[in-house]
Amino acid sequence: METKPILETIGVEKAFGGIHAVDGCSLRVSPRSITGLIGPNGAGKSTLFNLVAGLYQPNGGEIWFDERRIDGLPPYVIVRLGLTKTWQIPHELRNLTVLENLVLAAKSNAGEHLVNLFLRPQLVRKDEKRWRARAREVLGLTQLDGVANDFAKTLSGGQRKLLELARALVSEPSIILLDEPVAGVNPTLAKSLMDLIEKLRREGKTFFLIEHDMNVVMNRCDRVIVMHQGRTIAEGTPASIKADPAVIESYLGG
Amino acid sequence: MAIDTGILVNLGFYVSLSIIFAILALGFNLQWGYTGLFNAGIAGFFLIGAYVAAMAITSRADSLPIVIGGVTVYPGHWGGFGLPFWLGMLLAMLASGGTAALIAIPTLRLRADYLAIATIAFAEIVRILAINLETVTGGTIGIILIPRPIEFSPPDPFLNAVTIVGIGGVILIALFLVLQFMAESPWGRVLRATRDDEEATMAVGKNTFSYKLQAFALGGAFMGLAGALFAMTLVYLEPALSFAPSVTFSVWVMVIVGGAGNNRGAIVGAFLIYGLEWLSVQLKDFAPQGLKDTIFYIRFMIIGFLLIILVMFRPEGILRERKRTLR
Amino acid sequence: MATLALVFGVEVLQFALTGLVVASIVIVAAIGLSLIYGIRGFANFAYGDLMTLGAYVALGIGMFADFLVGAIVAFFVLAAVGMLLELLIFRRLEGRGPVAPLVASVGVGLILQNGIRAIATTQQWNFNVPAVQTIPIVPGLGIHPVRGIATLAVGLTFVVSAHILLKYTNLGKSMRATADNLELAKSTGIDTTRVRYAAWAVSCAFASTAGVLLGLGTVVSPTMGFDILLLVFAAVIVGGIGSPYGAMLGGLVVGLSQEMAVPLLFWLGRPDVIGLQHAGAYKVAIPFLILISVLLVRPWGIAGRPPAFSPRIYFVEKLSRAFSRKRRPVRPADVDEQGG
Repeated sequence: METKPILETIGVEKAFGGIHAVDGCSLRVSPRSITGLIGPNGAGKSTLFNLVAGLYQPNGGEIWFDERRIDGLPPYVIVRLGLTKTWQIPHELRNLTVLENLVLAAKSNAGEHLVNLFLRPQLVRKDEKRWRARAREVLGLTQLDGVANDFAKTLSGGQRKLLELARALVSEPSIILLDEPVAGVNPTLAKSLMDLIEKLRREGKTFFLIEHDMNVVMNRCDRVIVMHQGRTIAEGTPASIKADPAVIESYLGG
Repeated sequence: MAIDTGILVNLGFYVSLSIIFAILALGFNLQWGYTGLFNAGIAGFFLIGAYVAAMAITSRADSLPIVIGGVTVYPGHWGGFGLPFWLGMLLAMLASGGTAALIAIPTLRLRADYLAIATIAFAEIVRILAINLETVTGGTIGIILIPRPIEFSPPDPFLNAVTIVGIGGVILIALFLVLQFMAESPWGRVLRATRDDEEATMAVGKNTFSYKLQAFALGGAFMGLAGALFAMTLVYLEPALSFAPSVTFSVWVMVIVGGAGNNRGAIVGAFLIYGLEWLSVQLKDFAPQGLKDTIFYIRFMIIGFLLIILVMFRPEGILRERKRTLR
Repeated sequence: MATLALVFGVEVLQFALTGLVVASIVIVAAIGLSLIYGIRGFANFAYGDLMTLGAYVALGIGMFADFLVGAIVAFFVLAAVGMLLELLIFRRLEGRGPVAPLVASVGVGLILQNGIRAIATTQQWNFNVPAVQTIPIVPGLGIHPVRGIATLAVGLTFVVSAHILLKYTNLGKSMRATADNLELAKSTGIDTTRVRYAAWAVSCAFASTAGVLLGLGTVVSPTMGFDILLLVFAAVIVGGIGSPYGAMLGGLVVGLSQEMAVPLLFWLGRPDVIGLQHAGAYKVAIPFLILISVLLVRPWGIAGRPPAFSPRIYFVEKLSRAFSRKRRPVRPADVDEQGG
């Protein structure tokens, strides 16, 4: 690896009861890349994402993000450091409008703290205005303008996926973890989503995505990491991964 | 003139208690309607506020035990600092809010029904303590001779009613405005998001535990405030009936009727449901001898019926959750 | 037990016996409650009032016929009531989460309790059984044939019956499968609707029995069931939600601890210790304290399983990490570059 990785895991472990979902997983993600994470079902990919994002605490190993050790930190700190994650099944906030969903993702909004509400009203107004503008900007990027003031629970499946991505972008993170961003999404929408991701990557963002759609993985990813039974078994360009015998075996046998 | 003021005093009592229940409902609405924390121990926070306020504002002389002929007729109670009523209310809020914060820390991570069981257990423990710690709380008799905010001489029930309604009304309106401001703010938005999906809200970068703690503690403080007003309205407190679980269940109905997350609805719900209670007391005088108590039982059955019907057919209550259209 | 008796006197055995009797009633109730919790997924706050209903039905029938006939009739009446509740109310609340049916059950309880008050007044009744004396065993230790022996016997019978039902009958196995994993049970062809109605029937029948036992031991009053509801919840939670065997264990723990706490409380009540007034009255708080402790430390109880995801309390973790500070490790990438 020529440059320092933006995200690195070292021997990360996570067990649920007796099941070792993640069993000594080590990997690196380069900055300004679109890196894919593939592997058969049950390989531990989503669990790894949850560990990186701080939603689970690892039983062992280390997670480093941009020169900082982040394993054990809570999600709200990790988001502030610049790492966000989407969910495989969209977790939109149902009784909030689409716009509210996005404004919520603000990184530091004075109005979210009671003390500020009463003591610094001008700052509250200023921050709220700023983040509403940013929310509208992201709405435009993901072409969700039309449903800005609709309850999130009224959205279609594809729109909810878009909202997932949009929410992860609002706080201007440096790396975004996407859990199956185009699963169940129609091909046209999938293409525009991936085009958007490539555009944002050119602007400096890093994307680390779990995907089962091999078209996306082969055509859009710079590097691919393969997980099987809780650990990485291969890493390289899409072409080299395709030909790797260990990878083929894991998909056939696993 | 005497008959007229009698009716007005009676109505004043209805309004005062509706206001008190409305404040309880607003507190519960903040905890459950906005933040999704199902507090089944409302009666406990209500009790703590009422007793703390009473202990603060009763005079030393009135707090002492009463012994007649060697028999302790009244065990006396702790406190008796004779503080002004506004200070009593403030202390009540601090006591209830502080207790809420303390028990929130270990229990807020529990699932909704576990939280309900834990909080109802808490409320029962508080009630058992209030009944049995005689020298502290006055035991089953409770606290008597609580002073009113303004003592009129000669004593005038009509003016007493006016005072309480006046003070209570001002507090209710102020509380409503403050709550609306807070609930519709970005802070309130985080609460609503936590209610809808806590995991997702955490993933978006919010310290949901801190927000839940704030909502629970503030809600508890409001319940304490309601307790203080209760003490001043009734001028006596007894632990067994006034703070039973049925109080908690009644507040649930009030908030569900008004629509969870809807402050206006909570106040309307309180006036409606307390109206049932007040009505049953009025009708009692017109009921035939054997059926007098039946009216109370019917009232509870109506509340039970409402709970079932509302949950089954109208979970969002009479007034729906408003869409917040941002510009 | 013998050492305890030697040290504290035979009275301790009496409290232990009372604890076992209380535990028997709680166990029967807790098995029923945990069936609903496991198979219908919610805390049935009407359960105490269902117990009360059972006792009153037995009382009513017992005025025209034998007490035992009354108890048996109540058993079946309550089973029918349970199935009616599922039919009218609870099957419509499927998939709404644990709070909606909880609130509805509170409503049901209010209707039951106050309906009973309206019809039977708040007067306390006693069952129509012949009055008998306590049978002394040793000085300071006695057992009452009805409150003691009969209750223990019935409790044991019901525990064994529950065990047979759950382990050896098809219905029981279906119940356990449904409680464990609803979707899986459905896909393996189990008629989950039948299981649900059966669960309600068994649960309320057990409630009726517990109510009758309670009425035998104390009095029959409108709040008798509600008064011990939290005790039964404590048993179910201590033992583990949805596990009838856990409920049995929890009932034992809760019943024994409440009664065995009495001598300790009396000791606290002595003027030379704290002088706690009404010390004995605090015994009812003991199960609540156990309940809260279990909820804080191990919410899934003795026999339950911890969930995969539970919200973390970060400042607690931070505190515990502060106490076990480790040296910050060297970054492997740096080592790589140095090593070449």
